[in-house]
Amino acid sequence: MLAVENLRVVYHDVISVLNGVSIEVKEREILIIIGANGAGKTTLLRAVSGMIDFYDGDIIEGDIKMEGNSIKGLDATDIMKRYGVTYVMEDRPVFWYLTIEENLKAASFSRWDKRVKADMEEVFDYFPVLGALRNKKAGYASGGEQQMLAIGMALMTKPRILLLDEPSLGLAPLVTEELFDIIKRLNASGITIVLVEQNAHASLNIGTRGYVFETGRIVLDGAAQELLENEDVREFYLGSGEKERKSYKDAKRYKRRKRWL
Amino acid sequence: MIDLLQTLGTGILVGLVYALLGLCIVIIFKASEAFNFAIGEFLIIGSFLFYTLFFNETIPWYKALQLGTVIFIFFSFILFYDKNFRWRIALPLGITAGFLIYCFFFFGLKLSTLIASPILRFAVAFPLGLLAAGLVGAMVERVTIKPLLGRSPISMTIVTLGLGFLLRASVQLIWGSHSYPFFLDLPDITLEFGELLFLSDPIWAGILSLLIFSMVIVFLFRTRWGLAIRATSEDQAKAMAFGINARFILLIVWGISALCIAVAGIMISNFGALQVGMGFVGLRAIPVVLIGGMDSIGGALIGGILVGICEAAAGAYIEPLGLVGFKEVAPYLLLLIVLFIRPYGLFGTVRIERV
Ligand SMILES: Nc1ncnc2c1ncn2[C@@H]1O[C@H](COP(=O)(O)OP(=O)(O)OP(=O)(O)O)[C@@H](O)[C@H]1O
Ligand SMILES: [Mg+2]
Repeated sequence: MLAVENLRVVYHDVISVLNGVSIEVKEREILIIIGANGAGKTTLLRAVSGMIDFYDGDIIEGDIKMEGNSIKGLDATDIMKRYGVTYVMEDRPVFWYLTIEENLKAASFSRWDKRVKADMEEVFDYFPVLGALRNKKAGYASGGEQQMLAIGMALMTKPRILLLDEPSLGLAPLVTEELFDIIKRLNASGITIVLVEQNAHASLNIGTRGYVFETGRIVLDGAAQELLENEDVREFYLGSGEKERKSYKDAKRYKRRKRWL
Repeated sequence: MIDLLQTLGTGILVGLVYALLGLCIVIIFKASEAFNFAIGEFLIIGSFLFYTLFFNETIPWYKALQLGTVIFIFFSFILFYDKNFRWRIALPLGITAGFLIYCFFFFGLKLSTLIASPILRFAVAFPLGLLAAGLVGAMVERVTIKPLLGRSPISMTIVTLGLGFLLRASVQLIWGSHSYPFFLDLPDITLEFGELLFLSDPIWAGILSLLIFSMVIVFLFRTRWGLAIRATSEDQAKAMAFGINARFILLIVWGISALCIAVAGIMISNFGALQVGMGFVGLRAIPVVLIGGMDSIGGALIGGILVGICEAAAGAYIEPLGLVGFKEVAPYLLLLIVLFIRPYGLFGTVRIERV
């Protein structure tokens, strides 16, 4: 459905962040992307969603294709409207000074029609907590509520692919679990999901496939279950390797074993 | 007592015009965190556009031709690069636009011969003039501000400084620096109660400013476009991620701002005459927004009224003591006092913080 081919992205013309990344998203799957801080996961999502030039970044090589059509260089609004790619930024991208209801309305701006009211009720069905808070300013909602609101807003844009950037950031384990349940339900209703996460264990458990990112490259990929069982992933992302303590030498060994895509 | 009421009333009426000026600064500041220092120039341009319409003022052919050429280049450029029209379509459209503008400035709209009644003529020319001013604002935004989206607000602010000089020079080249008599001939609604006297022109100015002010508020808080503007004002990146075209929103905001400034400009010209030097009145917006709070719309209203009253009071009570010109300084003194007490202005945003 969505294919990123050998993408290279630089910020401010000098800082090279993605050095040839290729990924493929299949229809109706939950694709998990994990990787260390600063690996370039957010940058990848920005590039795909067309937001990259807002951050003074450029795609200097490679292509992004949605069902065979190149969407590289299109406006963020166009990508969303024409191809149904919606990007939920990291750190709970809600409008603090608008009420929850206004937030949802604002998110439906690009497709304003008679169905907005009905869709809003649908979002409240997914997230009953939001319904109770409709007239409260989003800035006063809790972190979990804000993240749910952000996903609810994304739903208002009628996405076909949702790009979620670390939705579990700063949430309690129980809330994270609830959130991932909802993500699964959304997926079951037909929305393809790309989930960027630090929370490797929980996310790989709901995912179908996964990629592991490191400093602007993909070093591993495979079915989610495979990754969960992969020794290196367990060691470095799940924190539950066989040996007690890993020495620097072991880390080097791991580096050598990685596949460069 | 009579004196005081008179001063207060006069101050409030003028203050409403200042409030409108403040609003123009506030909405742009909220949307892009930039301060529009070119406000004075927008004020003159708006007034001159209205003047052209209302009094059928025309300019020599070579000046009209220059304006037409600018418009032609602008439109062809936009259509070709932005809208991806083929040049075969973009060029003729651009030429048409340029030609229309040429005709407009060379022949005028002849409203003064078409519509005899001044009030009717005003009712036609006023919205048209505002629309024209709004379009100019949008054009200016497209050329100077839009390329800076996502960059530091400081660079936008500096651009508006330069823009101010450029626009002022252009106006001076086209209309010269002499003053144009300005008399709207609106129905006389002078109010007189006993010794209190409020002249017709300030009352009209107050009413129309308040009207436009409330229309902007309704637009911002009751329509979906307004909602999109408020969302974009809070965070451009978030807005873009949710499908709101932040670039277009910024264009609209500049258009609205230029339109409101034109209202203030027309009202202020109506107090006396219209000339390029009048632009400095626009800078009254600085104490207004700083007193009210840079990001508060209600603050602009209160700030405007306070500045108006302060000016009127200084004129009535302090200037007679021999301090000629104190009127001009008084708002800045008030500003200093307010900023000592509340550094973010009276109504600066109460930041949302969860505790
Ligand atoms: N606007 C920017 N300008 C310059 N450099 C940037 C910009 N945004 C990100 N970077 C740099 O690009 C690199 C990758 O950042 P990115 O945000 O994509 O990482 P990430 O994988 O999302 O990390 P995290 O897990 O911490 O969110 C980092 O080194 C960061 O410093
Ligand atoms: Mg990130």
